[in-house]
Amino acid sequence: MRHALALQLRRDRLIMPVWILGTALLALGSVAAVVTEYGAHAQQLTVLRLALVNPSVLAFRGAPNGVSTGSMLWFELFSWLAVVAGLMNVFLATRHGRADEESGRRELVAATPLARSAPLAASLALGTVANLVLGLLLAGAFATASGVDAAGALTAGATFAVTGLAFLGIALLVGELAPTGRSANGIGVTVVVAAYVLRAAGDSLGTAHLGSVTLDVAWPSWISPIGWGEQVLALSANRAVLLLPGFALAVVGAVAALAIHARRDLGASVLPDRLGRATASPALRGVLGLDWRLHRPALVGWAIGGAVLGLATGSLAHAAGDLTSSGSPQIVQTLKLIVPGGREELQSLFIGVLMLLVGLLAAAAGVQGALRLRQEEAEGRAELLLAAPVPRWRLLLDGWIVAVLAGVIVMVAAGLLAWLSFLPGGDAGDGGVHAFGQALAELPSALVFPGIAALAVAVVPRASVAIAWALFAIGVVIGLFGQLLQLPEAIIRISPFDHIPNVPFTDGGPTVVLLAIDVVLAAAAVVLIRRRDLST
Amino acid sequence: MVSRMTNAIEAAGLVKTFGRTRALDGLDLAVAEGEVHGFLGPNGAGKSTTIRVLLGLLRAHGGRASVLGRDPWRDAVAIHRDLAYVPGDVALWPNLSGGETIDLLTGLRGGADPALRTRLLADFELDPRKKGRGYSKGNRQKVALVAAFARPARLYVFDEPTSGLDPVMEAVFQAEVRRVRAEGATVLLSSHILSEVEELCERVTIVRAGRAVESGTLADMRHLTRTSIRTTTRASAAEIAALDGVHDLQEEAGALVFDVDTDRIDGVLAALTRAGVSTLTATPPSLEELFLRHYGDRVEQSA
Repeated sequence: MRHALALQLRRDRLIMPVWILGTALLALGSVAAVVTEYGAHAQQLTVLRLALVNPSVLAFRGAPNGVSTGSMLWFELFSWLAVVAGLMNVFLATRHGRADEESGRRELVAATPLARSAPLAASLALGTVANLVLGLLLAGAFATASGVDAAGALTAGATFAVTGLAFLGIALLVGELAPTGRSANGIGVTVVVAAYVLRAAGDSLGTAHLGSVTLDVAWPSWISPIGWGEQVLALSANRAVLLLPGFALAVVGAVAALAIHARRDLGASVLPDRLGRATASPALRGVLGLDWRLHRPALVGWAIGGAVLGLATGSLAHAAGDLTSSGSPQIVQTLKLIVPGGREELQSLFIGVLMLLVGLLAAAAGVQGALRLRQEEAEGRAELLLAAPVPRWRLLLDGWIVAVLAGVIVMVAAGLLAWLSFLPGGDAGDGGVHAFGQALAELPSALVFPGIAALAVAVVPRASVAIAWALFAIGVVIGLFGQLLQLPEAIIRISPFDHIPNVPFTDGGPTVVLLAIDVVLAAAAVVLIRRRDLST
Repeated sequence: MVSRMTNAIEAAGLVKTFGRTRALDGLDLAVAEGEVHGFLGPNGAGKSTTIRVLLGLLRAHGGRASVLGRDPWRDAVAIHRDLAYVPGDVALWPNLSGGETIDLLTGLRGGADPALRTRLLADFELDPRKKGRGYSKGNRQKVALVAAFARPARLYVFDEPTSGLDPVMEAVFQAEVRRVRAEGATVLLSSHILSEVEELCERVTIVRAGRAVESGTLADMRHLTRTSIRTTTRASAAEIAALDGVHDLQEEAGALVFDVDTDRIDGVLAALTRAGVSTLTATPPSLEELFLRHYGDRVEQSA
């Protein structure tokens, strides 16, 4: 096992430090931000009370436990850091497990005088160490906040380590069940997301006690590893005994994985790889059909993301009304800086922020769609298509069309669910229509990014992926934080997201210009891709 | 105009550079309509680059080329209506089944002949329901081969199509090539397996370092195919060395090792049996060895 562990450590010498240090630094920054924003008792009381009466805030955050900096930190940070830890474990287990086996590398190792279980045992050891280190660093990150004692910080660290271990156990077991690395990662990520969603449901359905500022969570939180971790209530109650279920799950998963591993053939899996269709459906008879088929799974993910944000709009907009009355001028000020156009009414501000986020999602979905041609080219599949009577501009144009469709679908999904989310409040006619209109207003800006990606693919194929995502990232930073960071006005105006009209529309000029830019980018890409070699 | 009628592929002085590497260095190639043409050369000789230029995937930096009488870069789409291609390293869509991939690729050319498709799947023993990611290298090649053969074309281009196939499947491939040739199609078959080319091709072009170093019918090139012989015999080394057609004779552990021109093998064997033979193995030299022997010096000198 020593050799197997050495091999895995060698392969992970870059990626694991990035995961662990990256997560720790994120936590460190977030702890500081929470302490700065909500350091005072009065602010904590306002925010936590507001959360308790607002199920969608509880869903996105967690369960408060009294008014203290520790309670505030746990409420704000635990559940998403737990998701990061869970993903780290899923990818680790798959990388050294099923993916290795699928690629045939495991066969090389298995032919050496190494015990059959050695690679699995090594993954278990590596994952355990990684979770312990992560827990320790996160404990350190929480300890930097004033008002957090050593016991609290250590309990917090232990909770992250145990939650990570629980997902490690599950992921190792999934690696024995799933037929391919792709499906192992897919199932693993689904489990992590499901754990988060169960916790979100359990928290938002819980019983709030406004007097003590506590929440009795409902049963869904109690069947989720993230829910168990949350209920440790580190930094306040420190209920360490609730670490046991997570630890037990880790042990059960690891033991089951080892037991299956000892009995199965190399390459065999409990779940079979599903067979596909023997013939193509009529929808798959052309390049457009192919692009749609290839982009569909990712698109569903982006659309669900948009839909979730849309669904939260209604209840958050109502919360905004409450916020106005309870008054936290700081938060209002921050929100006004993010949303361009400077609106006074807080509800429309909230709608603006959420729809801006949805616009960014739509842009990302589009960028990913437009970059698919580059992936096809680099992996050698574009060659098969271009040897058929398909002009290369057609490949590019169809890819861009699917990218645009992706953006539209994300926005429409978000807009429709935002409209629906206003129904319970009886505000569908006003707030709902406003939200839906605002979603559509984001589109021309969002679609600039797939245009840039398509142009990059046409002109500088090898650098296109880096360029497209870097420009998108810059767009995000300028769009969300440009005013906040007090960037020069000239730079802020470059971002397409700075030109989104506010509903109701008064000036259609910027929208027309943006739509023209979208079309020109795509047209330039279509023309320019005819000039270059296929490059791998 | 006349050559356009008779040559499916014509290239003269093709040049293609990648950075400082000169992948094609004045390459000439002529493939007559209706013939199966072998395109031979060691790895890295420029076979795949030539094919990609002929398919309009790469643009040549010099020389001219025509495929089915058209410019491969400008008229790629028109040419490809009459063309079927199988790359050397077939990459498939991981989540598309083999059957879907075959239908997609033939659909772009106008649709497969259903009966042909069914027969090809059976002959190549391919399960069309498996996902692309689940196929081995050989099976990925089979998917591309079925897609190529399932719709008739005027020109078939194969880039080392059998490198992942077992001998039985190689025979199926050869039968299909003979079928399309009988139907009047032209085939360009790139390979570094000499026996496969000998089975199928009327004419052959040999490339090395981005140039055609030899081109002609296989009969013309018989001088290329020397057989390597290792024998324990009572004949003396000097006696054998003196025979017509014997080259590079060496003594190794009591055995004689030498090469003999294939068309002189009869006389050499007769001489050996007259003297008495206790062991004998004969191996055709690999193409790689032939290149080293015949072209190594000349190409280096001219380069």
